[in-house]
Amino acid sequence: MPLDYRRFNGPDDSVSYKRFTPDFLKSYEELLGDLLEKNNLKDEQASDEAQRVFAETDTISQAKGSAYVEIKNTKVVCSVFDPREIPHQNEFSHLGQIYCEVKFAPFSCSSQRRPPAPDAEDKALSEALRQAIEPAVCRHLFPNYQIDVFAYIIENDGSCLAAAINAAGLALTDAAVPMYDLITASSMAILDDKMFVVPNEEEEELAMKSQESKDINHGVITLSMLSELSQITSFIQIGSLETDCVIKAMDILEKECKELVPNIQKVVVRNVIKNVKRQQILHESAKEMEEILDEKYNLWQKSLKAKSYLCFSLSFFSLLA
Amino acid sequence: MAGSLISQSEQVFIVHGVENDFRSDGRSSIDYRPMELETDVVSHASGSARLRLANTDILVGVKTEIDVPKPETPGLGKIEFFVDCSANATPEFEGRGGEQLANTISSTMQRAYYSPQAFNLKQLCIFEGKQCWKLYVDILILECGGNLCDAVSLAVKAALFNTRLPCVKAALMDGGNIDLQLSDDPYDSKQLDIGTAPLLVTLCKIGTKCVVDPSAEEERCSVISLVVGVTGNPNFYQTDDNVIPDIKCKCSTISMNGPGSLSPKTLKSAIEQGITAANCLDNALGDALLREKDEISYLKKHSYGFLK
Amino acid sequence: MEQNKSKPIGKICIPGMRLCSANKERIGGPGTNVLQGYIYAALAGVLKTQEDEKNKVTVISVESPTTPSILPKPGDVVTAKVTVVNSRVVHCIILCVGPHLVRPYRGVLKKEDIKSTDKDRIDPYKCFRPGDVILAKVLPLTEIHWYHLTTAENELGVAIATAEGSPQGVNMVPISWSEMQCPKTLVKEPRKVARIVPDYFDQNQVISYTDAENESKPINDPK
Repeated sequence: MPLDYRRFNGPDDSVSYKRFTPDFLKSYEELLGDLLEKNNLKDEQASDEAQRVFAETDTISQAKGSAYVEIKNTKVVCSVFDPREIPHQNEFSHLGQIYCEVKFAPFSCSSQRRPPAPDAEDKALSEALRQAIEPAVCRHLFPNYQIDVFAYIIENDGSCLAAAINAAGLALTDAAVPMYDLITASSMAILDDKMFVVPNEEEEELAMKSQESKDINHGVITLSMLSELSQITSFIQIGSLETDCVIKAMDILEKECKELVPNIQKVVVRNVIKNVKRQQILHESAKEMEEILDEKYNLWQKSLKAKSYLCFSLSFFSLLA
Repeated sequence: MAGSLISQSEQVFIVHGVENDFRSDGRSSIDYRPMELETDVVSHASGSARLRLANTDILVGVKTEIDVPKPETPGLGKIEFFVDCSANATPEFEGRGGEQLANTISSTMQRAYYSPQAFNLKQLCIFEGKQCWKLYVDILILECGGNLCDAVSLAVKAALFNTRLPCVKAALMDGGNIDLQLSDDPYDSKQLDIGTAPLLVTLCKIGTKCVVDPSAEEERCSVISLVVGVTGNPNFYQTDDNVIPDIKCKCSTISMNGPGSLSPKTLKSAIEQGITAANCLDNALGDALLREKDEISYLKKHSYGFLK
Repeated sequence: MEQNKSKPIGKICIPGMRLCSANKERIGGPGTNVLQGYIYAALAGVLKTQEDEKNKVTVISVESPTTPSILPKPGDVVTAKVTVVNSRVVHCIILCVGPHLVRPYRGVLKKEDIKSTDKDRIDPYKCFRPGDVILAKVLPLTEIHWYHLTTAENELGVAIATAEGSPQGVNMVPISWSEMQCPKTLVKEPRKVARIVPDYFDQNQVISYTDAENESKPINDPK
């Protein structure tokens, strides 16, 4: 990979110190045990996953639309910009394009520092994000132009793609890009017979890790959908799962996505109310200004009339004289 | 994907044909087009295969190199996929034009091979924590006739089947460094265990139905396709009779391609359709590869060269 | 699903919300899309219904409180600033689409599209000058990176212009359909003048107004 010489790149062969901690040396079984223990504790505190989503729109003033989404500890900022010309394009296309870029902050992951230049994972995530949001946008309304969507993952604690899709959907709504439906996404990690909805990084990693014992289900699924139209826009699975398991997971994720919709709706409604109020204030102040100007104009015109009358009478009198 | 232009009425014709389960080239919705497969076509690669699926032409070369394993997985080797969309296929691929398609295919392959149940990287380990084999799988798309994902996955599996890793004779420990001594005899090599390597099946949604192995024209008619990666059955890839207990096919990856979307019901049925198709494909590939292997051991009688 | 908030706001819509069925009496306006016989909201905003007297339909639209991310569509009236004038074309930058301020897009006004009459004898230099602010209508898309515009209507043409040599901010006043005069220096300059309709920015009204105009005989077109 070409190095970016404009940045300080740090020593080439540095490794994360976590390699030398006892946690790192734990075997797969030990890690699994730890995780299950932790989850048992967690389950006692009611864990309603849909409630753990924090979302806010209009966080970046420079962008046309923006959103900030927090799912568990995963934090994503997403911004959307006005349609612009597609660079280096020389073919007429009736549908507009969407350009997505997902980037990890260098300090976003617990294990290793992310290199500032985009790597294969960044590219794959960008592609996945584009796939997920493309069906939701009315692309026929901006032929030959592209909408830029930038997602920046500030902290990664698992299910970052789902968070990015949620953020991108909100940012597109905030930018008032015409859309067919609100888009929501959710993910799940599967380990044998256990299913972790909206997994954290530990769960995700463990579900992806190589297994000593053969032939158990393991994997991660991310699903995004348009709930009102009940259409799945993207479905990404990785790992090794039996068909029944995939279908079961799909049902759960579908439900999860639907449960997320009211939360997202609330955020959108709040945003609309805020913007409408802002617009009303602007209108009122504009009206006030106009009234003041009108008053001044009338005053000026009156004095002008008086003046011209004066001039007229003066000249009249001088003529008489 | 890339390829031919198609008119409105041609599209209608194809869509109506698919509705009646009778496609423009006479196939039904679950039929594949005829394929030609040849292995060991590139002499400088450790393993290679060329697959021609109607108009789609794929050449895969596997290069093996020695690398240091990742610190978090000391006992595993590495495998990487690179796709090159040659501008020979279509002028659209010129410059960086094919980059997006290439990225999509290589990341799908990477995901499909991720699970140890699909491809066990342990077999690439030479010396735990110190040295391992790294397989560079270079995929060349020479001609584009639709259904690239399936063709690529078939060709990759064939190329990996054909790959020979030289046997390590001795390893000298010199302080912390390791000196490997490889055998000089080119026939003293080991094969990879690729029985479970996944195959990708693309299901193209045309109208209301899903079809396998879409041609370039059919791809133009559809807005969404589903790619299902299914692990293989090792029994298809061995001649001797010591039957391994049958392993059930599993999904190693699923992803969607294209600007459209799918309803949950279609998605479910498409996944099942994909698994059935992959199983048949895997069986056929195993047969072909075993036949090919026999021929090679006899000294090949007739060789086609890779662009016939 | 529709939340009825405090009165001044009205009904809030969210993308994907099914508003009503689409039929002869109700059609979807801006900010909505019609799918399988239903009108859905495409923007987050406030629901607006408008009766169209002439066609006897109700236009259902969603108005976003922020400027929607849209591009000029064929038929839209845009406000543009002239940048280059030469003997064949006039280049300009599109500033507003209808009432909405947008990212600047490139527009091109061909010589033939400046006026509706006497097309062979149009001289762009006698119609526009760089710096003029014009009203124009968008023509169907033919090229990738710019929009073709037309001013071949009475209501379209120069809206704001400054005479050569006049100080900035002193705008000329139209004195005929083809001439403007500076109130300060009294310099007369030729322009393709737009007859500004008072309530111009209500697009629907403009369109219906111009339609009516075209049917009857144009008033100030010299025949």
